[in-house]
Amino acid sequence: MKLLDMTRKYGNATYEYPFAPYDVADGFRGKPEYDYDKCIGCTACGVACPSNAINVELNEAKDKLVWKFDCGRCIYCGRCDEVCPTNAVMLGSNFETAVRFNKEDLTESAELELECCQNCGKKFTTKRLIAYCIENFKKVGWSESVIQEKTKYIKTCPVCKKADSVELVSKHFSKGVKK
Amino acid sequence: MKGDIFINKLKEKITIKDIYRMPEEQITITVDRSDLPETVRMLYYDMGGWLVTMIPNDERPLNGNFVLYYTLSMEGGKMSPDDELPAEDKCWMTVKVYIPANDPTYPSVTRLVPAAVWYEREAYDMLGVVAEGLPDPRRLVVSDDWPDGLYPMRKDSMEYNFRPDPYAHEDEPDYKFNHPEGGGLVDVPLGPLHITSDEPGHFRLYCEGDQIIDADYRLFYQHRGMEKLAENRMNYDQMGYLAERVCGICGYAHATACIEAAERAVDMEVPRRAQALRIINQEIERLHSHMLNIGLACEVTGNINAFMHIFRIREFSMELAQLISGGRKTYGNVVVGGMRRDINGKGIKRGLELLETMETQLREVWDAVMDDESQVDRWKGVGILDKQVARDFSAVGPNVRGSGIKRDTRYDHPYDFHDEIDFEVCYEEGGDVFARETVRYRELLQSISIIRQCFELMPTGDIVAPQNKIIVPQAYALANNEAPRGENIHWIMHGGAQKVYRWRCRAATYNNWPSLRFQFRNNTIADAALIVCSMDPCYSCTDRVTVVDVKSKKSKILTHSDLKRYSQTLKNSPLRGM
Repeated sequence: MKLLDMTRKYGNATYEYPFAPYDVADGFRGKPEYDYDKCIGCTACGVACPSNAINVELNEAKDKLVWKFDCGRCIYCGRCDEVCPTNAVMLGSNFETAVRFNKEDLTESAELELECCQNCGKKFTTKRLIAYCIENFKKVGWSESVIQEKTKYIKTCPVCKKADSVELVSKHFSKGVKK
Repeated sequence: MKGDIFINKLKEKITIKDIYRMPEEQITITVDRSDLPETVRMLYYDMGGWLVTMIPNDERPLNGNFVLYYTLSMEGGKMSPDDELPAEDKCWMTVKVYIPANDPTYPSVTRLVPAAVWYEREAYDMLGVVAEGLPDPRRLVVSDDWPDGLYPMRKDSMEYNFRPDPYAHEDEPDYKFNHPEGGGLVDVPLGPLHITSDEPGHFRLYCEGDQIIDADYRLFYQHRGMEKLAENRMNYDQMGYLAERVCGICGYAHATACIEAAERAVDMEVPRRAQALRIINQEIERLHSHMLNIGLACEVTGNINAFMHIFRIREFSMELAQLISGGRKTYGNVVVGGMRRDINGKGIKRGLELLETMETQLREVWDAVMDDESQVDRWKGVGILDKQVARDFSAVGPNVRGSGIKRDTRYDHPYDFHDEIDFEVCYEEGGDVFARETVRYRELLQSISIIRQCFELMPTGDIVAPQNKIIVPQAYALANNEAPRGENIHWIMHGGAQKVYRWRCRAATYNNWPSLRFQFRNNTIADAALIVCSMDPCYSCTDRVTVVDVKSKKSKILTHSDLKRYSQTLKNSPLRGM
């Protein structure tokens, strides 16, 4: 009987939920929300994701960088949120992640434009990442000439950078030999 | 030094080849394999050890041998109140034996120490090392159609060239259940699928009338190969999240144990604030897990009203978890070296309010449940776990504490912040379902008090240690942790390239399963579900289907073999002619 008394005392314990919105706590870890405009394609989230829910890779034609998110694999740990330098991925408060019938609906993807290397002309990184770096150079307070030199450096692909530095080093050595 | 008293006693009878201490209270002694059973028996019965885990490890790439580590927690026999070691003598003793790769056999420990039975069966399934004289050499972990001669935990087992095919579906051998002698017994199958939580399992109850004479069970239907997965592909960033997925209820305890094993192996200090937060998370987990179990124990005896009330209160613990970890469960929070989320003053204030509500309402509900005689009668005298059986099989958690044994790893081997916290180890005499549920209820109140103390004593400072430790290959350590169901033991041996060489995860219930058989005996079939539930995994529907055709008023019972044959051949439907 005591249990019945308690039922009367505490009344209705359930929420209206499917018929009324459900408020979650502050700092709730829901589905990661992706902001395409902020993303610079640095791939930090793809590296950090422990369950490979986020993958960042080139598309088949190798002319676009594709950011892919598979909600079916996500464990809501929030590592992507922690590592993102521009807050393009942030955990939201959405917990209604079920889809009907089509598993493809669980995935999201976005394509980012690639920048060509100024030496060899091959595509190597996103345009936005380079713009982001240049913007940060300006904040550092370097002089215009230094910025130009650095800009030239970051617009070169890693393969060409390697070739360049080998060339530079060998020039230096040959000078030394002459002396 | 710690553990010297045990080593000196052992030395009188046995040659100890090598002693290794890392960390200080974890002592590994190497003995010859012919001395193994006697060493473990002496430590277990003569010096008051409890077998906590056994790690079979393939160290052929390192030293050409298979290696077994029998780990015992030295804490005293605990059969009577004064039969306990003083706190400064409590330690972990590991007996290490080398088994040459060309002759992978060793004398079975199970004949002398029954607690080793599951470990030795698993060691055969996983590594192919044979325990000579093991009373029960059936398969434990791998499925019935698993090919002979393929041992998944061997380092070379993943070579595709050597991998044999599994048995064809129709040739799959039947599992041999241990059928007791004597006629007139009826098999009652229970399983293979659980309606409520945890793993799927299949139970065979052998009954005379409605009395259970004996039982046998087959588990591991959902073996996920996590240990192998971690060895092959994971780094330490990812392993914590994998360890959490071991269990759906006490995942956090597994993650902490796994991460702490990795930390202890390289002697990494975790900041005090992170330690306190780890304790809080663990106690929150205990709150919701114990409430779940008490609720279900009411539900399987038909008391749905009490079940609903307890689940209503459980919701507060979920809210508390949300405050601290951002999720309704405490997942995704622990990293090597500390924690990921801190709590602020506002959170602590709200947390204290929630604890207050939970405590008053819990007392109210428990009072009401105890007031209900028919409920208490269903619990009392059912599923008795004898004290000696509990001792022989090294049972853990509320299961062992319900049999009057004061065994709690937070008390025996305090870890993290527990050295500053006062709490009482709850244990009850009786060994029946009632005793176990009372232990759980009292532990709920203790958990609330522990969380309060943590909030009050919360140290200031960082929550992550500076990353200045380097993983030392082949350094190993064990970490203990009192999960809601008992102690979880994780053992990690580091490998090269910032990866794990061997991760052995021993969940609490692993030590409780072998003694379940004794709890079933002399109970009625109606109580079987309750007994399984009071251990903490749950019950399931039967393995057999009765089909009744309403129109023709005919009924026919389909047996397991009928259904199996039909599912394989799809010919001669057993329902034909109905």
